[in-house]
Amino acid sequence: MIKKIKSAGQVFLFTIVLPFFISHTLLAQEIRWVDDIVADSLQDGVTFKLCNTEAQIIQYFNNGKGAEYLGGKPAIDSLFFTSYHKVHTDISGMIRIRFVVNCLGETGRFRLLSADSNYQPVVFPDAVNSQLMQITKSMNGWQTKLWKDVKIDYYQNLIFRIEQGQLTNIIV
Amino acid sequence: MNPSTILIILFLYAITAKGQPNCNVYLWNSDTAQYKACKLLTENQHKYYQFSKEFHQLVDSAIQVCPYFAYAYREKAAPYVKSGNFILWKQYIDLAVKYDTLSYLPVRASLRYKFFGDYSGAIEDIKLLEKLNKSDIGSTSNGTYHLSVVKALCYKQMNNLHKGIRIMENLLSSKNYIVGSYDRFHLGVMYYQNKQYEKAIEMLNKQVKENDLSEARYFLSLCYKISGRVDEYNQSKLLALKLYDEQKRMSDPYHFMIDQITKQEISNI
Repeated sequence: MIKKIKSAGQVFLFTIVLPFFISHTLLAQEIRWVDDIVADSLQDGVTFKLCNTEAQIIQYFNNGKGAEYLGGKPAIDSLFFTSYHKVHTDISGMIRIRFVVNCLGETGRFRLLSADSNYQPVVFPDAVNSQLMQITKSMNGWQTKLWKDVKIDYYQNLIFRIEQGQLTNIIV
Repeated sequence: MNPSTILIILFLYAITAKGQPNCNVYLWNSDTAQYKACKLLTENQHKYYQFSKEFHQLVDSAIQVCPYFAYAYREKAAPYVKSGNFILWKQYIDLAVKYDTLSYLPVRASLRYKFFGDYSGAIEDIKLLEKLNKSDIGSTSNGTYHLSVVKALCYKQMNNLHKGIRIMENLLSSKNYIVGSYDRFHLGVMYYQNKQYEKAIEMLNKQVKENDLSEARYFLSLCYKISGRVDEYNQSKLLALKLYDEQKRMSDPYHFMIDQITKQEISNI
C-alpha cells in the first residue's frame, strides 16, 4: 500500500512538482487535462499565442505561488468593484472565468461557467456575463510565471459571487 | 483490549482519516468490494496526475468495483475544485459526503469557503458536523485552521463580526484547544474591525510573540495610528515591511487568504 504522504516537502512534491514533471515527460503526447481550454479561432480570434506547446500549459498553482497579479487582490477587487454595475436580476450564484496567461502576461481563451447558489448550472443575464468578461479581458497585470528560469503559459481562474445581480466577492 | 475493540478503533480510524484510507479495515469489516476498490485506487493513483484522463479512468474503475467507495469520489472531485469547476466538484464531493459523512464533511466545508467563497454553505456543513461529532470537529483539509475558526471567519465575511468574535473567544478559552498559527491574529483583526483597538493590540501582541507575521504588525500599526501612539505605529509599520520581505507573512499556493495584506497596503498606512 502506498505510504501516506506526511511531510510538507512530500506534499509539495506530489501536488506541485510532480504534475509539472509529468507534463514534461509526456510532451510528445496530446495531453488533455481536466478543464483544458481548446483554442477556438471563432471565439478567441487569432492574436493570442502560446509561448510553448499546449501540453506545457500548467495550472496557476503549480509553482506554489497562487495567482500573481500586479497589486495583488486589492488591485483586482478595485478594478472589478469600480467597473461592474449592478444588474437587475433575481439570480444569485457564482461565475468562473477561466483563461490562459501566456509567458508574456497576455491573456486569451476566456471561458465562462456559472451556477446558482446550490451549485446547479444557471445562465446569468448577458449584462452580468458580458461585464465580467470585459473587465477580465481588460486586466493587464498578470505576472509571468517562471519554472527553472523558463517563462511558462498557465491557466488562471477567477470566481465571482453574484447576489441578485450585485458583485459581492471575488475569489482569486 | 479485545480484538473487537481493536477492530472498532481501526474502523473509526478508517472513516476519520483525511488522507488515503487504510484498505485493510474494509477487509476486516468483510467489505470485499470496498477493499478491492481501495487497493486498486491507492496502489495506482500515484502514477497519474490528478488532472489527467488516466487518473480519472483509474478512479472510475474503482467506483465501478465499489460504487459507495467515498474516497474515490473525493479524489474525483479534487482537480475540479482546483480548476474552479464548482458544478462538477460539488457533484462528486456530495457523493463522498453521502458515503462517508464524518470523513468528508470537513473537506467539503473547508473547500466551499476557501475555493468558492460559499460562507453560508460552509457554516451549514460545520454545524452539521458539530451535531454529528460531539468531540472535536477537527481542522480544514490542509490543516491551516480548526473548523471553528473557519466558522468564525465565514460569519465575519458575511458581516456578522460579533458572532465571529464570540466563536473565536470561546474557542481560544477552551481548555484543551491547541491554538493555531493564525488564530490570535484573526481575532485581533476582528477586534480592530469592530473598533475595539485596545483588545486588538493585546491579541495581536500575543500573536507576534508566538508567530510573528507581517500582517499582524500591519494591523498593530493601524491600531497604534488610530490610538495616536506614533512611535509604536512607526515601529510596527517598519517591522511589517521587514517581515514581508523576509517572507514571514501569510501565503497559500491557491488563494489570497482572508486578512492577507500586500506590501503596497503596508506602505500606504
